[in-house]
Amino acid sequence: MDCSSDAAIVARVLRGDVESYGELVARYRDRYARYALHMLGNREDAEEAMQDAFARAYRSLVRCDDPDRFGAWLFRILVNRCRTLGARRGRRQRTFVADEVALHAAAEDHPAGRAAWREEIDRALERLRPEQREAFLLKYVEDLGYEEMSQLTGVGVSALKMRVMRACERLRELLSEVHNA
Amino acid sequence: MPDEREDIIERVADELRQPAPIGASFDARVMRVVRALPRHVRRSLWSRLTTPRAVTFTPLGGGLLAASLVLVVAFAAPHAYLDFKHARAANGILARSEAPAPQRVQFVLIAPTARKVAVVGDFNGWDATHAADQAQPRGGGVWSVTAQVPVGHHRYSFVVDDSLWMADPTAPRVIDNVYGLPNSTIIVGEQNP
Repeated sequence: MDCSSDAAIVARVLRGDVESYGELVARYRDRYARYALHMLGNREDAEEAMQDAFARAYRSLVRCDDPDRFGAWLFRILVNRCRTLGARRGRRQRTFVADEVALHAAAEDHPAGRAAWREEIDRALERLRPEQREAFLLKYVEDLGYEEMSQLTGVGVSALKMRVMRACERLRELLSEVHNA
Repeated sequence: MPDEREDIIERVADELRQPAPIGASFDARVMRVVRALPRHVRRSLWSRLTTPRAVTFTPLGGGLLAASLVLVVAFAAPHAYLDFKHARAANGILARSEAPAPQRVQFVLIAPTARKVAVVGDFNGWDATHAADQAQPRGGGVWSVTAQVPVGHHRYSFVVDDSLWMADPTAPRVIDNVYGLPNSTIIVGEQNP
């Protein structure tokens, strides 16, 4: 198991050791895949956004001002890539049931109803406006504070609170029936 | 019922917080892309300042720069002329300063299992590919290289097998402020002829 700090790995990469970058990829791949998957709605787009974010981070590594917080810096790049990719592809390709792995795992845990519940959640997420979906995921799933969200997205705290509130209202509307059924 | 409505959001969040692992093949794909990109080579400030590069000026920017230079020359020239006269009057001749010549410094590392050793430092732009800074095996696991190092205080380290960053075990160490890695320090003085 590699215990090098992010800063130590970044230093090696900046000195020409390209292979060390693989340690950062392995370290953050799964942690951030969840966000990309929920934001974009299918695994193919999520992996494209992730790959793009890692490549852009490598190219710009010399501009990473705080290498100890490489992960946070990478996440900011990923959030932007998800926005760009989501806007480019729009809703035409967003497929709420494409996360077969998660659905399969859910079905194995609770075969009676969890897979269906998960499917309804994905369907409801897909119906949120992208900026509301982004704010909701950052707040409730990635557990970020509003100040962090503001720094990450460049959006004011008040606007973010409003987006989260709207997202929650919409999710409640969409999921109440399923939940009570 | 507000509590129940809030509970829905919590249930949604709980579900979405489940890990969404990506296959290990993803790493290989990313690394293929990364390897195709230009490799990073950390360069010193001096190296960056002395590397030739194209600089473009807009007509406005160029004009402002030229006007600034004219102003500086107009104000500084009379003072410089007076200083020159005073110096010549005081010393008879104007002393000329010359930068001291770089010194030959031998770096030695004992690394019996190494296949390649290079010395990198602020004097060569931290570039392990400099042919002149590749150490040669001297037998018994001893590697050495004699490099041209300018007079002054320098930081350096060894790069073993193109991957391992190793401070000189026989020299004082200093932690790199930016990356937290140990480097070695050396003070190169001007030798008497």
